[in-house]
Amino acid sequence: MQTPLPSSSGTKPEMKEHCSHRADCLKLIQLILDGEATEQQLARAKANLESCKPCIQMYQLEKEVKELLTKRIEKRCCPEQLVATIKSRILSFS
Amino acid sequence: MATIPEVMSDTPTSDRNRIGGPTGPDQFLPDSDSAEQPLANAPSRGYSEEQKYQIFNKEFMPHIDSMYNFAFRLTMDEDDANDLVQDTYLKAFRFISSFEQGTNAKAWLFRILKNSFINDYRKKSKEPAKVDYQDVETTYNSEDAESEHTVDLRAESVSDLIGDEVATALNSLPVDFRTVIILCDIEGFTYEEMAKILDIPIGTVRSRLHRARNLLKEKLRDYASSMGYKEENDE
Repeated sequence: MQTPLPSSSGTKPEMKEHCSHRADCLKLIQLILDGEATEQQLARAKANLESCKPCIQMYQLEKEVKELLTKRIEKRCCPEQLVATIKSRILSFS
Repeated sequence: MATIPEVMSDTPTSDRNRIGGPTGPDQFLPDSDSAEQPLANAPSRGYSEEQKYQIFNKEFMPHIDSMYNFAFRLTMDEDDANDLVQDTYLKAFRFISSFEQGTNAKAWLFRILKNSFINDYRKKSKEPAKVDYQDVETTYNSEDAESEHTVDLRAESVSDLIGDEVATALNSLPVDFRTVIILCDIEGFTYEEMAKILDIPIGTVRSRLHRARNLLKEKLRDYASSMGYKEENDE
């Protein structure tokens, strides 16, 4: 099984099948994926993400959803006509 | 050569009105009469005509694709997105003296666009009833939603969804939730930048984003199951 974060210890920790604070873990996971977690939060989450199966699955889901949004949704570019219109309207201001 | 504005470091938390000028956030609230002059009371920086065009071209125009994409994701309509982007850029030029050169132009522009959207477009949009922030917060702000709610869904179930399906799910969210997801996941703003663009505290950004994602996952789950992707994916 693929671990989401690099393992710091050589020994494989026992995997937890149940997580009793999923909601809090989920919030932490989102902070991490958004790049908003503190060093402390990162350290706390890292241990968890090596040993808690539900948390690993949540991490993978959140990561997947974020990637769907960043990579699959088409980015609309501004039509050139609009760029031209804005530039000419600006010039007529002075 | 102009220096590239730093995106993150130029916006101290204590100075939360920096992006929109020092006149306070309420000037941007929906239905405010001052909406037409969003930055009127900001200190004038006395740029020369030449400097104005230079700032406009070098600091504002590079963001036009992101602005258009944001406008399109908000309005879900090409014509409306056109109008919204044009209005925003004209407004930005008119009030350019309240923009401090070298600060976060993208966040400044996004803030104007989002406020124009609320003030001018949401009123006449085809979206059913205007979704009030407060209603939305209340609806999803129950203790249950806050503390217990996790959506039962596996990454594998959604990994085959295509862009249009994800966009449809995103578009089905109330606009305030859609907005935070667009700003964070599609445009990559930090929480602090989002707080300034939206005029809300960082804690509210965090919790609104959290709820928005739960809603989105519910939509994705419905989508995935209606498309026949299997939920139980026992390895």
